[in-house]
Amino acid sequence: MYRKFLRLTKSLTVSFEKVVNFLTTQEHNPLYFHGALPLYIFWFLIFSGILLWMYYIPTLDRAWSSVNYISALPVPGDPVNEAAGIPYGAVVRGIHRWGAAGMMITTILHMLRVYFTDRHRSWRWLPWVTGVALLAFVLFVGLTGYLLVWDARAYYIVVATQRLLEAVPVAGAALSRFLVGGDGITDYTLTRFLFFHVGGAVLIFLLVWMHFIRLKQPVATPSRATNFMVLGFILVAAGTLPAINITRELLQKYAADPRIAAQALYVASDAPAQIGTLVDTIRYDAWYMFPYWLVQNVGVTWTWLILGGATLLLCVAPFYPKDRRANIAEVIEAKCTGCTFCSQDCPFEAITMVDRAPGSKFKQIAVVQAARCSECGICVGACPFQAIELPELHSKTLEADLLDLVKKGA
Amino acid sequence: MSDAKKTIIGFVCERSLPLEYMLDGGKALLDDPDTKVVIVPCSGMVKPTFLETALAKGADATFVCGCAIGDCHYRTGNLMIRERLEGKRSPKLRKTTDRRKVGMFFVTMKDRTAFLAALAEFKAGLDARPAQEE
Repeated sequence: MYRKFLRLTKSLTVSFEKVVNFLTTQEHNPLYFHGALPLYIFWFLIFSGILLWMYYIPTLDRAWSSVNYISALPVPGDPVNEAAGIPYGAVVRGIHRWGAAGMMITTILHMLRVYFTDRHRSWRWLPWVTGVALLAFVLFVGLTGYLLVWDARAYYIVVATQRLLEAVPVAGAALSRFLVGGDGITDYTLTRFLFFHVGGAVLIFLLVWMHFIRLKQPVATPSRATNFMVLGFILVAAGTLPAINITRELLQKYAADPRIAAQALYVASDAPAQIGTLVDTIRYDAWYMFPYWLVQNVGVTWTWLILGGATLLLCVAPFYPKDRRANIAEVIEAKCTGCTFCSQDCPFEAITMVDRAPGSKFKQIAVVQAARCSECGICVGACPFQAIELPELHSKTLEADLLDLVKKGA
Repeated sequence: MSDAKKTIIGFVCERSLPLEYMLDGGKALLDDPDTKVVIVPCSGMVKPTFLETALAKGADATFVCGCAIGDCHYRTGNLMIRERLEGKRSPKLRKTTDRRKVGMFFVTMKDRTAFLAALAEFKAGLDARPAQEE
């Protein structure tokens, strides 16, 4: 039943990609670079983030203003930016903002494609499980990014997160204190959020390394055409809908400017946070804020159960359904010359070269790590000496089949 | 030569074409009974020597069919066989092999028609050529 479901999803995915292939050609189909896309977009986030960081001031009274200064909207009476701030600052912020959405979307796309095409199971458990961790980290880093703006929504998120953390048995109170760095929200809180945001982004690299650790040739770069397409998307989005702060005051002031009025509902941040004044409802960003939608709609306990349950399901997904694994590659010791071809070509790092005893004819021998073997036979194709074979599909059998077919055909 | 019955041996990755609908119950293609198919788990498993053997033992042409480039179930199998046949990765196809008789197709399980069209073109190419010097 479940296998049938996976077969169906694969069939649908392939059909969809066939259409995209028709539009973009096989070589530049962005769906074939689904894993590389989030990583590629991540570079936009790093560089635009560094630019934003130069002007960001992580204190309660200056955070919102400093972000606003970057966005170059003049606010009368604001101590930081009486006049307009940085040229194209709103576009850089827009790149950061839209890039973040793009990274989350492509990450989810990557996950769905891997799952739908049945490439998450068995020997692929490590990339999958680190992928789940990456998803959680991308979510975490994205959310902390919203906090740095320190608008009414950020304050709401902090309060809701504290409620979530306080619901944790035993450690709840300590976790809640840890989040804000003390008993209440202070200037140190924003410094801490900045650390969460930047430190979390650095940890994403560590996780990406773990994600790649068992892949011989990870696809880390999209095709050039795909790169330009993504670049175009982000620039167009950031250029037409730059990220800015919108308050009622600002809206009134700039009501004549349709560009700004149109953004009120989309990419804008709210008015500065007022500690103690909680807004009733926030604008939910679908890619990042679903946990808070859950908190608001089903309560703290259910939110934990749903998030925890989903994570658990994702983590056990690679282990079911169990496969019959009878075709794991075997090295024929007498024939192996230690040439390393199989180990170089194995896509899942399942073959390691081990030194032979001193005095042996050859220096090394290939050793297959059964748990990592995908039974694909690429090593068989790589071996010039018939020294590695799949037990259930010996290349001698293949050749016999082949001769049989030639004879029948002639 | 052109009207003579041809024997074409193909090595087909089991994940690329919907073979369950494409074979005549044995190993010949329904749409093209001259073409016989050896099924492999991944096109990357094919050794260039298999193709050389097929040609040496009397096949008129031989080909490898794998998943669409960029979409190998085992990540890189189709890239590997492509590089081996192009002489960029060891073990390579022998230089004395007539490359016109060696085809490569990279398709998805939904590309049956495209595959058959490419195969027909490949066969037509065999016919169009002057007789091979043996």
